[in-house]
Amino acid sequence: MTLDASGALRRTALYEAHLALGARMVPFGGFEMPVQYEGILKEHDAVRHRAGLFDLSHMGQFALRGGDVAAWADTLTSNTLATLEPGQARYTIFTNAQGGAHDDVIFYRLDAQRWLLVVNASNAAEMWEYLQDEVYGDVALENLHGERALIAIQGPHAWEWLQPHVEAKLAGLRYYGCVETQVRGLADPVLVARTGYTGEDGFELFLPGEDATGVWDLLLAEHRAQGLAPCGLGARDVLRLEAGMPLYGNELSEEITPLQAGLGWVVKFQKLAFRGKDALLAQREAGDYPRIAGLVMDGPVPARSGYAVYAQDARVGTIRSGSIGPSVGKNVATALVEPSAATVGTALEVEVRGARHAARVVALPFYTRPKA
Amino acid sequence: MAGVPAELLYSKEHEWVALEGDVATVGITDYAQSSLGDIVYVELPRVGVTLTQFANIGVIESVKAVSDIFTPVGGEVIGINDAIDTDPSLVNREPYGAGWLFKVKLADVGQRDELMAAPQYELLISEA
Repeated sequence: MTLDASGALRRTALYEAHLALGARMVPFGGFEMPVQYEGILKEHDAVRHRAGLFDLSHMGQFALRGGDVAAWADTLTSNTLATLEPGQARYTIFTNAQGGAHDDVIFYRLDAQRWLLVVNASNAAEMWEYLQDEVYGDVALENLHGERALIAIQGPHAWEWLQPHVEAKLAGLRYYGCVETQVRGLADPVLVARTGYTGEDGFELFLPGEDATGVWDLLLAEHRAQGLAPCGLGARDVLRLEAGMPLYGNELSEEITPLQAGLGWVVKFQKLAFRGKDALLAQREAGDYPRIAGLVMDGPVPARSGYAVYAQDARVGTIRSGSIGPSVGKNVATALVEPSAATVGTALEVEVRGARHAARVVALPFYTRPKA
Repeated sequence: MAGVPAELLYSKEHEWVALEGDVATVGITDYAQSSLGDIVYVELPRVGVTLTQFANIGVIESVKAVSDIFTPVGGEVIGINDAIDTDPSLVNREPYGAGWLFKVKLADVGQRDELMAAPQYELLISEA
């Protein structure tokens, strides 16, 4: 856990706002973060049907600058950054030599020279060390972790409720597009991106810490009565699981490769070279690796991380994430299982407190938002 | 219905007990349901099973966590609340009413001396 010099948990710029809203605060990634306000299920429902507002300022933000950023990052990550134009964002994975993942991240390209890299809170300190060790060429790094804020607005009404407060035409911003634009009441432009971690349409605003409370309060003051709900990390985890998005440490790790996580689309083997490429090629060639499968539980008992998974009497894997799936109507889980047990439709059993409970392998994601 | 009803007895594990003769109805307190958050599954002992006072006899699961249920009284289970199987959120909405968990025929009525009255329990949660 990242601790400051005094050993205390850090607080985001929105800490007081969370307390005023009655949030329950928990330690996460070295920060005191809201896990819920009114309740996880209500917040989940708000995001699926209206919109939710999230403080994600605990996530690591690194500013990158220079003419070699794309070429350099392409040697360390599995996706391709060389083709990324200004105004675009891309999800990629910093791989290790064995093909596992140091972190899954998003690169935002602001212009020819300037980039923003967003990393997981739990990996931010290690990633900062790693990038400093690896940097070469025309690449300058600046650590903004904890200084810059990140506010996300996610849900079918996100566009409608954010648009009145920003200058850029959000309708013209495609999924994984980003734009620097003026936000009502702020002096400096803010990076607004059409990215998120909920399975809904939505936006993320990267802004100076001192501007965060103003934007947060403005959005809630104008749209809370319409249904905009402050949402905590509890709802976010349920939303991302239903949307089939990996959580670093659960579905993806130093030991679980992107291929195993079902993220083959993020691995560009046509790239000349990147760290871990040979190991990933060998893994793809062998094809017999354990992999992440989506499980739907038949009954009411939730599967939880760490529970054993069986096919008949053979242990075939372990639950990595589990929750109720309010949008699915069943309990859902991911499990790292033997390839023979990963086929859609396979009947499996999850051991919960000594008893076996039936589950079935389904295709991920569990939930896809209705087409607008 | 919230707070700490004066007519009930309480355990330090945040269960309440309503006594009628030698029959105890057991549930979790409003403080407990609020701390747990949205309850999604409850696992209780079967009718006919004999419980030891303060033993771990089941689990209650919220979206985020699995918590043990410690029975505040010992004796034979003579009823469980089937309604919370189909709607576990009853425990959140009516912890002292429709969200009760199970009924026990007390092995020994003297067990009540091991429980707290409302003012003591209020003190306990105010210090938590």
